[in-house]
Amino acid sequence: MSEAVQHGQSLVAVDVGSVNTRAHFFDVVEGRYRFLATGEAPSTGSAPAFDINLAVLEALNRLQEFVGRTLVSNQGLHISPENEGGVGANAVCAAFSAGQPVKLVTVGLLERVSLDSVNKLATSNYCQIVGSFNLNDRRKPELIVDSICQTLPDIILMAGGTNRGASRSVVRLANYLALALKLIPEGNRPQVLFAGNETLAEELDQLLGALTRVHHVPNIRPSLDQENLAPAQARLRELAFEVQATRLNGLRELKELAEGQLQPAAAAMGRMMRFLSTVVDPPKGVLGIDLGAGHTTVAAAFGGEQQLRVFSDLGMGGGLAGMLAETHLSQIMRWIPYDLSEDAVLDYLHNKPLFQQTLPTTLEELAIEQAAARQVMRLAIGKSLRMLPSDAIYPLPGTVPWFDRVLVSGSTVSRAPRLEQSLLMILDALQPVGIATIILDQNNLTPALGAAAGLDPLLAVQIIESNAFMNLGTVISPVGRARGGPLLRIQMVRNGQKEPVVDVHEGGLRTIALPQGQVADLYVQPLQNVNIGLGPGRGGWVRRVVGGVFGLIIDARGRPVQVPAGFNQRREALLAWQEALRM
Amino acid sequence: MPNSPIAPVSYIQPLVTLRRPRRLAAEGEVLVGVGQAVASGDALARSSLGAGHRMLDAARALGLSPEKAQAAIPREVGEQVEEGDIIAGQRRAGARQLRAPAGGVIAAISEGQVLLQVTDERSFLPARVPGMVVNVHPGYGATIEFVGAWVQAVWGNRQLGDGFLHVVGEGPEQLLTADQVDMSLRGAILVAGRCEQPQSLELAAEVPVRGLILGSMATQLGPVAAALPYPLVLTEGFGSAPMNGDAFRLFSNHNGDAATVNAQKIDAVTGDRPEVFIPVKDAGSPPQPLPPQTFRIGHAVRVLTGPQKGGLGEIRNISLSPLPLPSGLRAAAAEIVLEDGSQILAPLVNLEILG
Repeated sequence: MSEAVQHGQSLVAVDVGSVNTRAHFFDVVEGRYRFLATGEAPSTGSAPAFDINLAVLEALNRLQEFVGRTLVSNQGLHISPENEGGVGANAVCAAFSAGQPVKLVTVGLLERVSLDSVNKLATSNYCQIVGSFNLNDRRKPELIVDSICQTLPDIILMAGGTNRGASRSVVRLANYLALALKLIPEGNRPQVLFAGNETLAEELDQLLGALTRVHHVPNIRPSLDQENLAPAQARLRELAFEVQATRLNGLRELKELAEGQLQPAAAAMGRMMRFLSTVVDPPKGVLGIDLGAGHTTVAAAFGGEQQLRVFSDLGMGGGLAGMLAETHLSQIMRWIPYDLSEDAVLDYLHNKPLFQQTLPTTLEELAIEQAAARQVMRLAIGKSLRMLPSDAIYPLPGTVPWFDRVLVSGSTVSRAPRLEQSLLMILDALQPVGIATIILDQNNLTPALGAAAGLDPLLAVQIIESNAFMNLGTVISPVGRARGGPLLRIQMVRNGQKEPVVDVHEGGLRTIALPQGQVADLYVQPLQNVNIGLGPGRGGWVRRVVGGVFGLIIDARGRPVQVPAGFNQRREALLAWQEALRM
Repeated sequence: MPNSPIAPVSYIQPLVTLRRPRRLAAEGEVLVGVGQAVASGDALARSSLGAGHRMLDAARALGLSPEKAQAAIPREVGEQVEEGDIIAGQRRAGARQLRAPAGGVIAAISEGQVLLQVTDERSFLPARVPGMVVNVHPGYGATIEFVGAWVQAVWGNRQLGDGFLHVVGEGPEQLLTADQVDMSLRGAILVAGRCEQPQSLELAAEVPVRGLILGSMATQLGPVAAALPYPLVLTEGFGSAPMNGDAFRLFSNHNGDAATVNAQKIDAVTGDRPEVFIPVKDAGSPPQPLPPQTFRIGHAVRVLTGPQKGGLGEIRNISLSPLPLPSGLRAAAAEIVLEDGSQILAPLVNLEILG
């Protein structure tokens, strides 16, 4: 048991998003951390208030009403390790995703090596890559220099060369930076974060150090087949915070309020997935998606190794424009069971970024948002496949690998009026394979918990195992070519008793009752050459499956899920899938 | 006791004083002084970051190491050179030399490489709002004071223009059609309720008009609108919602008056919004816009989405406890009496105060 729990630590965790700000309260009950309540308020980082802490204060006000203890007063937030029941809390932390992304120029020697790594580094935070170049860039050098000046980045991320490897070429690229920095007025020059050949530190300092601040971190590609992102990610977080704090009023004060325990929400989510992956049998992994208004975060972890990607152009508010830019309307229409015109759908999706805080008021608008959510998540996971390890289990090429658990956060999914809507959005968007437990972050706790894990990792583990997160069920998704007839035979054994055998046919969704929290063993036998993650046609025992809201779910729709093209058939299929999950 | 959330505001002000700071992203040169009157398109400041350059590699031209080449460059940053001038190398006949391929200014020298600025296409910071310079931010820009009518819109095609307001048709629902656009509208800023045809927009460009203010526009016209040479703003958004009554009445009252359409992109983070300015002379010093406020009973509000999108009304009641919506969602909501007397329940997040 951790020291924090022994002392009965209560904790306030604040999460500032671009649309909503939340304050969560956790306390120790009967020796375990429990989530007790959330206070929520619309975020105030943008117009007309321009101060994130107005919403933080409001969320805390609401929270103290719910928990019945004084958390804030004119003296501020009451946080002290000595606080006892009824007054304040013992600890505080915060996560944030509000604000504009930090503008980055990325520089690497080779496109597929150091530039690839440095771009991965950039997309692990709330950043926008406004320019990129490498040794093989076909543009004239002066155009590269001009583009750096015109895009005026906040930070330049540079890598290249293994340690004791290439040096002249790195210096040549750095010289382009030197020329660009000389053209930019002194007060506006971007800082440089160098994560390349460590032996060049002195030379780069000589070349660039007089022009701007140069930060050195361990090489992100110490050798061609090795990638070491973590130290550079940590330094980038610090530098990005300094930039964000100049643009997002109240961010520095939030860090003070959180007594320094402030994390970007994406990093916090990554940390959560990393923890969770350590309790999963490798090579299966865990996947987390946070579908925000301005950003979508994909965090995957395998055996404690985390991969993180933030899509600053994909989301359910301002990020819808990014989704629409790379989506054919039919990819959204196919998920809508109403006979809506394309114009009506387009109008709604183009208006939403203008008023990103708004909620759908009619069933039709809700269906449009939920269809858009599927497409945003689908794009995000599709673009993230490259970062996932090749030695994971891929029951079908081109799909996601086998994730043991999938956790989804974000109001559009977590606050859907009906749980089958949440589950269907997740299944349709991510199309998991193998056998996966679907966890819904119904209280949008993940970013705050990730930040809290910095104070006490046990808190994150205990809360995620509690009913603060909703286990929607375990889904088995057979993939492969079927020839008609039954696809799978499932024998459930619960409390030592065999349940009736269930045969599953190709197509559609179905559930098998397994009450929430109850544990069962399953014997799953493919009846055709399909793969449930154990290999084509191979079956076996699946031990200790925990029942969720929907019990056990069999998604026999194949991968990718095919939705009929004609409206009537489409509507029939969509409603049938909803009906199959109706409780 | 929790408060209702801070409300977003759309300003539709018949007479207001605005103070609008305008700054370059990077330090440059300020071109105006305090007390100077400026039009919306006037440059307040300029930055050299838009200039074009040529990279001259002295090390390669002279066959020297970067360090030695650096020493062989007898030029200084800021020096003007003509085409053919020696940039690096010795003057003696037969010596390897690097000559300027074009006239320009030496912008930077580093490691035997010379950056020659060959074009002076500096980026200018336009005022975007007509008015008087009341403050100068040295090196960066100025604050402009505007007095007059001001309407905020929700979408703009990023253009900027001045002209005279011309209200098309009778009411806020008026559809702008191609047959309403003729040469008599040359130089005008058209005001209409809606637009559905690309021909109307394209014809207006041929006239040419100086701007277009619409309530809404079919989404499919987005690409056409984005490419127009004149500014276009939408007060309500995409679709077929009519222009809200307050904005339409204000434009009608100023029919024929000079106006500026600043069709900048909406930016929730910075608060930038597309907007229309109608200067009013000899108006004294009207008040500045109200600071942020929370929703209250009696507030005039606009509905932002849903079947009543664009509807104006008054808050009759507020429930901070979540109420069920027809979509099945639950949210803090307000009872609104719309202008036509009908009563609706709308989530607070779907409303904005009319300032």
